[in-house]
Amino acid sequence: MAEWLLEPLGFAFMQRGFLAAVVVGVVCAVVGCYMILRGMAFLGEALGHATLPGLAAGYLLSNGDRSVTFFWALGTAVLTSVVMGALSRNTKLRQDTAIGIVFAGMFALGIALISSIRSYAVDLTHMLFGNVLGVTNSDIWLILAVSLAVLLAVALFYKELLVISFDPVLAVTLRLPVRGLDILLHVMIAVAVVASLQTVGIALVVAMLLTPAATAFLLTKRLKRMMGIAAGIAAFSGVAGLYASYYLSIASGAAIVLVCTLVFIVVYALRRWRPLSKPVESKSPAH
Amino acid sequence: MQTSVKEQAHPHGAQGPAIELRGVDVRYEQHLALDSVSVVIESGLRVAVVGPNGAGKSTFFNLVSGLLAPTRGEVRVHGHAPGQHLCLAYVTQANQLDLNFPVSVWDVAMMGRTGQLGLLRRPGARDRELVRSSLERVGLLPLAERQVGELSGGQRQRLFIARALAQEADLLLLDEPFAGLDLPSQDKILEILDDVRAHGVTVLFATHDLELAAQKFDRILLLNHRCVAYGTPVEVLTQPHLSAAYGGHMQLLNTAEGRLLVGDSGGHHHHDAEGQHG
Repeated sequence: MAEWLLEPLGFAFMQRGFLAAVVVGVVCAVVGCYMILRGMAFLGEALGHATLPGLAAGYLLSNGDRSVTFFWALGTAVLTSVVMGALSRNTKLRQDTAIGIVFAGMFALGIALISSIRSYAVDLTHMLFGNVLGVTNSDIWLILAVSLAVLLAVALFYKELLVISFDPVLAVTLRLPVRGLDILLHVMIAVAVVASLQTVGIALVVAMLLTPAATAFLLTKRLKRMMGIAAGIAAFSGVAGLYASYYLSIASGAAIVLVCTLVFIVVYALRRWRPLSKPVESKSPAH
Repeated sequence: MQTSVKEQAHPHGAQGPAIELRGVDVRYEQHLALDSVSVVIESGLRVAVVGPNGAGKSTFFNLVSGLLAPTRGEVRVHGHAPGQHLCLAYVTQANQLDLNFPVSVWDVAMMGRTGQLGLLRRPGARDRELVRSSLERVGLLPLAERQVGELSGGQRQRLFIARALAQEADLLLLDEPFAGLDLPSQDKILEILDDVRAHGVTVLFATHDLELAAQKFDRILLLNHRCVAYGTPVEVLTQPHLSAAYGGHMQLLNTAEGRLLVGDSGGHHHHDAEGQHG
């Protein structure tokens, strides 16, 4: 058994993969708690896809340098979330409509750029599905740095982010810098999305953001505990997923997400059998 | 070092009006929600804000709380623009929050301290003591560890009042806090509001219930897009005022037992329980 567990750790690329999967998983899980509580699931999906033109442009301009590509993707994600926000504020379009329009347009732009590269199919596959086992040392440092920055921001602004998420009207009457905190949250989501592109890729980012957080939501009634449990599930899924990938020869990103999903199913079944408490029917707003 | 943000943020005394509106219009698209409203509300009073559905009651609250800027005219809270105060608490209609949100009763009351604490600071002993005493005053201290969704409707309203107390608010805006509550819950909240008034807090309370407004409040503000009347219940609840606000739908009868409000169907008027946005 010990040998079975230790064997993959003998490879440097596996060590880096484990580290990347765990760190990225934890950051996505913590940020994801805010997303599921504020109903921002679609935004996560959209931001993942919307980074594609940034990835493609960075790749083309830097000849495949990954740190350069990372910042292009991050810039694209931040810009996209700002444009989405402005579009729904300044028109009568609902927010989900604004998100849909912007992300589909960005994704198309990304595909257009990539189709101009000769080795189109291979590169597109890597961007869509990630490749955690291809993570380099410089990738690891970058992932660690931005992940720490996000976790630090959550710790520093915890009480303010709690208020704007639970009761936006209170946030205004308490004179909190609501717009600034909203932008901070969007930037944190963008960072989490871009950091996880390397591990699970554009197509599966949303699972890293939502599934561990949603699982934790079924298990506790306190936000801090929810963040802790979500982080634990994400870290476990990262490790277990890579073992599955190693021994079963399946794609690493898919394996990680499948473990997350499996944990969710088990917890869901457990909760059906022994509920935490009755869910509360939230009355929908009068209009 | 211990100068709190609150002391700096509102250097007003207890004297002077709590709220002043001068010639205020609020226009949504083509619709005039409030039409040249001018009113001065003294501090320390309990004021019922009444009027028909869609009369602009919630708009009035949004204006005073600073959520909404007037299209025309001027709004003053304790002599300053509404956006400059930490002393104001606004309890919106109950249906606007996610009750499955993973926070406890204690956490929600502690949110009232967020403004005074300022960025990057954690709650200290004084904040915890304020939260504890606020929950005690509304009778929720034994339930401090409950999740918000596990409270009854009346308990939840009391929690939001406790949060305002923890915030050390001296102006409390309650938008239809009795919607959907049974009479014992309503009485309990009125008791708490008596205690709050004794501490000099001004309370504005939107309601459909004219009887309640007449019996339990110092002043009534009668709105129907315009300020129809503002004053003591006896001054405000007159036949001309009620006709102006409600048209022919509300009659005032003088009987042996005193004044009686009668709806147009001939029965006693009861406030309708359905929630509405003014």
